[in-house]
Amino acid sequence: MITIDRASKVFLTRDGEDIVALKDASLTIGDCEFIALVGPSGCGKSTLLRLIGGLLPLSGGTITMDGAKVTGPREDTGIVFQAPTLLPWATIKDNVLFPLSLMGKLQPDSKAKAGQLLEMVGLGGFEQKYPRELSGGMQQRAAICRALLHDPSVLLMDEPFGALDALTREEMTLELLRIWTERPKTIVFVTHSISEAVLLADRVVVMSPRPGQIVEIIDVPLSRPRSFDQEGSDEFQRCARRIRELIFGRRDARAA
Amino acid sequence: MQPDAIALPTPAPRRKKPALWRRTQEFWLPLVVLTLLVLAWEIACRVFGVPAYLLPSPSAIWGETWAMRMQVLTHAGATFTTVMVGFLVSVAISLPLAVALTSSRMIANAIYPILILTQSIPKVALAPILVVVLGANELPRIVITFLVAFFPLVLSCAAGLLAVPPELLELGRACRASKWQELVRIRLPFAMPIVFSGLKAAIALAVVGAVVAEFVNADRGLGYLIVSATAFFKVPLAWGALILLSFMGIVLFQIVVAVERILVPWSNDNGKL
Ligand SMILES: Nc1ncnc2c1ncn2[C@@H]1O[C@H](COP(=O)(O)OP(=O)(O)O)[C@@H](O)[C@H]1O
Ligand SMILES: [Mg+2]
Repeated sequence: MITIDRASKVFLTRDGEDIVALKDASLTIGDCEFIALVGPSGCGKSTLLRLIGGLLPLSGGTITMDGAKVTGPREDTGIVFQAPTLLPWATIKDNVLFPLSLMGKLQPDSKAKAGQLLEMVGLGGFEQKYPRELSGGMQQRAAICRALLHDPSVLLMDEPFGALDALTREEMTLELLRIWTERPKTIVFVTHSISEAVLLADRVVVMSPRPGQIVEIIDVPLSRPRSFDQEGSDEFQRCARRIRELIFGRRDARAA
Repeated sequence: MQPDAIALPTPAPRRKKPALWRRTQEFWLPLVVLTLLVLAWEIACRVFGVPAYLLPSPSAIWGETWAMRMQVLTHAGATFTTVMVGFLVSVAISLPLAVALTSSRMIANAIYPILILTQSIPKVALAPILVVVLGANELPRIVITFLVAFFPLVLSCAAGLLAVPPELLELGRACRASKWQELVRIRLPFAMPIVFSGLKAAIALAVVGAVVAEFVNADRGLGYLIVSATAFFKVPLAWGALILLSFMGIVLFQIVVAVERILVPWSNDNGKL
């Protein structure tokens, strides 16, 4: 369980100005829960994600994971970014093995595990290929395998499908749901897409900028397993409309 | 789920292989053009009776240079040594310097102005002073070569080390990589394509630096040969030395390109100059 209690983050810019990237965010995430963070650019989604991952120090508040305070990066966390950021000089398989090798935790069976993971995401025959030989979608799948190899209990994803074309994006959404069902784990997923958030998540956390904060947490009562057919359902539409109101309603109010 | 359709290995459309002369034209076409130019040069010199001290004909250049081949080779060897030692010293100093420059803002602020200063010194003017300071031997020539060659190398090494995507560094931190691991396993390999563009500039500049040093202070080297040959109006020999010097520059540059292709096959700069 992850407990975020009034977490704040203030960045100091070069010209000595304070930027409040996140203010008093509170949220409790259950084990194997799927959480989506939605909101306009600059509302602190990435900041919150990095705070959970221990990649940034908190300016205020606390974050605990299973009772222990988060003070730095933990090994039971996997991260996926918007860009695949694979190592261009390493094969796909070596890229997947890279985190384990950095941590000095390569086991005799690691290679076999990497092979299975790549097989699972449909990259079976591509283990010895180099990243430049793969399409963007395939590279991102390899990056997901890289984050999953050490079987982390928490997976942090920062707009992982943001750079993909619409079709690949839908494919990857279903793929991720399948992976999550097969290997349940806590996922915190940042996205710009409202429908993606509703389709994937148990709860959608809606955020707003200046200062970045959580405005509302919306339960998604859709049944699992999810599919794109549910996009037409009343519950789906109701959730999506509410999120849209929260994001655009505020913006209109400010413009007026 | 299937891999994306676009990247599936589809059989390439059967196309006829281009003819041999077409595929290798990159290699022979410049040679043909060069031969024609030399031929035109030779004919022009003979037809118009151009005096040798203005523009010697290719045959005269070849004749005089070949006649002195042992001396010319010795001079070329001396220049080659200066170039290589100066170049290797630049590499050995530039990489650690770039690592230091990019590791902290304070170090960068401390070192950078000094770097700029070394670049604003006219090397030709520095050479005679260095001879007095370091003695009339190989050392001042190597120092000049180094000073001419190392600056672009430091800049490109630093640029390469800074070009690493921040996400990759974050991934390293998430895996709790040490600073040393981050440098050796992420930053340095990532910098290699840009480092090599600096190495190509550095090898070309090392030749320039060595010759400049030999102009001012030397009893050996192709630069010295050019100065002494022109002093005795042996213009064709000076041209021979010049051509040999250019040849040395091209070969050294191509060696760096070849090493890049082997060590950094993922560089998209490969194949181009
Ligand atoms: N390293 C940083 N230094 C200074 N300001 C930052 C830094 N990272 C983020 N910010 C600022 O914090 C705010 C929130 O950023 P971010 O969490 O990246 O938003 P989002 O991911 O929702 O687009 C933005 O205004 C951004 O400019
Ligand atoms: Mg972001």
